[in-house]
Amino acid sequence: MLRRQLLGSLPLLGIGAGGLAYPVASRAQGSRGNTLVVVTTPEPTVLTNAINSAPSVAEVATKIYDGLLEYDMQMQPQPSLAEAWETSGDGKSVTFRLRRGVTWHDGRPFTSADVAFSLLEVVKKFHPRGPGNLGPLEAVDTPDEHTAILRLAHPYPPMMKGLSSLESPIVAKHLYEGTDIRNNAANNRPVGTGPFKFAEWNRGASIVLEKNANYWRPGRPYLDRLIFRFINDPATRAAALESGEVDVAFFGTITPAEMRRLAGLPSIEIAQGGYEALAPMMLLELNTKKKPLDDKRVRQALAYAIDRKFIADNIWYGFGKPAVGPISSVYSGSGLYTDQVLRFDVPDRVARANALLDEAGYKRGSGGIRFELTQDVGPYGDDYRRMGEYMRQAYNRIGVRLNLRTVDQATYVRRVYTDYDFDMTSGWYVGMGDPTLGVQRQYVTSNIRQGIPFNNVAQYSDPENDRLWAQAAVETDPGKRTELFHAIQRKLVEDSPIIWIMEMDLVALQNKRVKNLITTGLGVRGGLYETRLEG
Amino acid sequence: MAGTPAAGSRWRFLGRRALQALPTILVIVTVNFFLLRLAPGDPASVMAGEAGAATPEYMAQLRAQFGLDRPLALQYLTYVRNVLTLDLGYSFRYQESNLSLILGRMSATLLLMGASVLISVGLGTLLGLVAALRRNRIEAALILLATVLAYASPIFWLGLMFIVVFAIQLGWVPTSGMTTAGGPGGGIAYALDVLHHLVLPAVTLSLFYMALYTRLMRASVLENLRMNYVVTARAKGVPPRRLVLRHVLRNAVLPIVTMAGVQIGGALGGSVVVESVFGWPGLGQLAFEALFSRDLNLLMGILTLSSVVVILANLLVDLVHSIIDPRVALA
Repeated sequence: MLRRQLLGSLPLLGIGAGGLAYPVASRAQGSRGNTLVVVTTPEPTVLTNAINSAPSVAEVATKIYDGLLEYDMQMQPQPSLAEAWETSGDGKSVTFRLRRGVTWHDGRPFTSADVAFSLLEVVKKFHPRGPGNLGPLEAVDTPDEHTAILRLAHPYPPMMKGLSSLESPIVAKHLYEGTDIRNNAANNRPVGTGPFKFAEWNRGASIVLEKNANYWRPGRPYLDRLIFRFINDPATRAAALESGEVDVAFFGTITPAEMRRLAGLPSIEIAQGGYEALAPMMLLELNTKKKPLDDKRVRQALAYAIDRKFIADNIWYGFGKPAVGPISSVYSGSGLYTDQVLRFDVPDRVARANALLDEAGYKRGSGGIRFELTQDVGPYGDDYRRMGEYMRQAYNRIGVRLNLRTVDQATYVRRVYTDYDFDMTSGWYVGMGDPTLGVQRQYVTSNIRQGIPFNNVAQYSDPENDRLWAQAAVETDPGKRTELFHAIQRKLVEDSPIIWIMEMDLVALQNKRVKNLITTGLGVRGGLYETRLEG
Repeated sequence: MAGTPAAGSRWRFLGRRALQALPTILVIVTVNFFLLRLAPGDPASVMAGEAGAATPEYMAQLRAQFGLDRPLALQYLTYVRNVLTLDLGYSFRYQESNLSLILGRMSATLLLMGASVLISVGLGTLLGLVAALRRNRIEAALILLATVLAYASPIFWLGLMFIVVFAIQLGWVPTSGMTTAGGPGGGIAYALDVLHHLVLPAVTLSLFYMALYTRLMRASVLENLRMNYVVTARAKGVPPRRLVLRHVLRNAVLPIVTMAGVQIGGALGGSVVVESVFGWPGLGQLAFEALFSRDLNLLMGILTLSSVVVILANLLVDLVHSIIDPRVALA
């Protein structure tokens, strides 16, 4: 509490220094040359995202590794290691023509054998989302060194959205074959085909990547060096960006309030976009097996009671927009999103919430209280606590007393996902390139897996819903697939096992001399080979 | 000095102290092991939590890899045996030897700690002496006021304010880190670069103890000035400057030396905050991250090695003490 008040005084001091800020920024950059310095948090634990999907691991590793494909801002596939691709008529095989003349950072040639090995032996087995992205992949045929044919057990259109360097990085077979993959030394000294080569890791301080002079995109990357810095304190990270020691700060490194202040400085701006491949969604998971949350009317009432726009504008300083259902509007490009669902953002929402609770039989008792709930606040920073405090007030208006519980991540994961000892919990999920890949896990019966984080912890189970998801996963006709997803959204919003709050804008902050930071749907989780520095 | 009877007793005294340290370390290791096991959650769940996705196979792989599926007693016995052979094991999280992780960070922490002890002892002694000798003058009042401020301000707040003023507004020093990202890799330029980064965190970390030493020194000097030996010295005509430097200072500095041992012991705790605020890649930050990720092997390694450092530092303090005041070794 004390800490937050004290930090609050920082912006005031910053305004006083406004006139000095710009020269300071250029002073720090003078001697650095063509080097981009990025701040992220936490420090990665390994440098190979084929075996670990933590965001900061991917942020570093996607500069070193390539995937078969990339995605544009509308999430349409673009060539990367694969130059061309074709899906067979029955949808059960996809042929990739691989780029010729690509070499690993150690000089060995890249071939179709690397693709087969990476997908089957590394990504599918070790990447936490591998089984989802490559689920029905049974074999990879390699008729020659530059052709890879992916053989599927059944048609699986979502796979084509999960072949980026973020989700299915291609690693070197000659370094991994026949080894203990999880403990392979190359995990911390990565060798890829990507735009940057690993140079050094100064633990606790920085990771240095150097330009890959033999990169297959001619003339790229523009940067000579890319340095990731790790600073534990959010206020210091903001100071480093302000002083110009750091050029780019990824989302989550600086609090939303500070981001707004910094973006107002003459030297700093928001780098728009770049989270389309993630489709991040902030939400409130409800324990649907616990009274009174087992009643759909109660869950709907809780969904009506909160003002999503207020949360987006005031708690998150506008870095996001109100959500209407489980599927983010970033999927609009492929037509999968609809807002034709039960809407909770109606003018008389508080009255409706009260009526639903009356109807469910939860009358107001002494002090106007119907029942009490506890919210386990997601362990992702103070802002989640503030959101919980807003909800406590909002739920007071419908006679529900909300208690907040804040613990560290290890305790939280144990309590919520292993012990199911919770009523509701706040957090955020990534939907990835296709709802089947990232959204489905929270809603289908087969994913109620006690002890495993980030699955169907709401324990929502509905045969009709399960059937719709199963059909959507294998449906190859885009029109029919769209229909299925619209039906899923109507069904889930009606049942409200989860309260969807906000589609998050995971934007980065950048010094204005940085150009072309965001050029694909992967954003800062892409290769950054087009990124340049001016001045 | 070696060979004289006084030095002999001094080394016996230190040897005795060193022997007492061994059971202390064993107790520390045991208490740490079981205390840390009480924390809910394990590293596998944290890593899965950070990954944002997980499968049962992934969790089981991690637990087996970390040896968390074995009985607790067995884990403990293995650990003690390993520590006795100076094997601190592997970090769950970083998949690297704990010893190399810790030693990699130890130098940064020792540098920060050493600099802050030097600053606080040096300036604290000096300011305390001035405050005592210039009693009832404006200098003394200003020094005492400054010590109250330094003593009462939260350390992270001071750190952030220093960053705002000296790094952002004035631009004299960098905000954080130990070296310039992509800066010089060696030689004089590198040393200067580190020194440039060291100034703010070292000063921040030293302020609290500097204030403490100033007050301690002032009280101690004032007390000594009233002692009979000072009266005697004055009576036999010792000049005032020589009286202070040769007689009073040597006696008055004893509590400071004792307190410096405490400072070194507490430096690791204090440096967690300072290292965090200034992005200093030291042990404090490593310990902090290890705790929150339940990387218990690494955390125990840090605690064990730190306790060794603290014990060594106390031996050093004892040694210094016995040189300044030979009565200590004979007691």
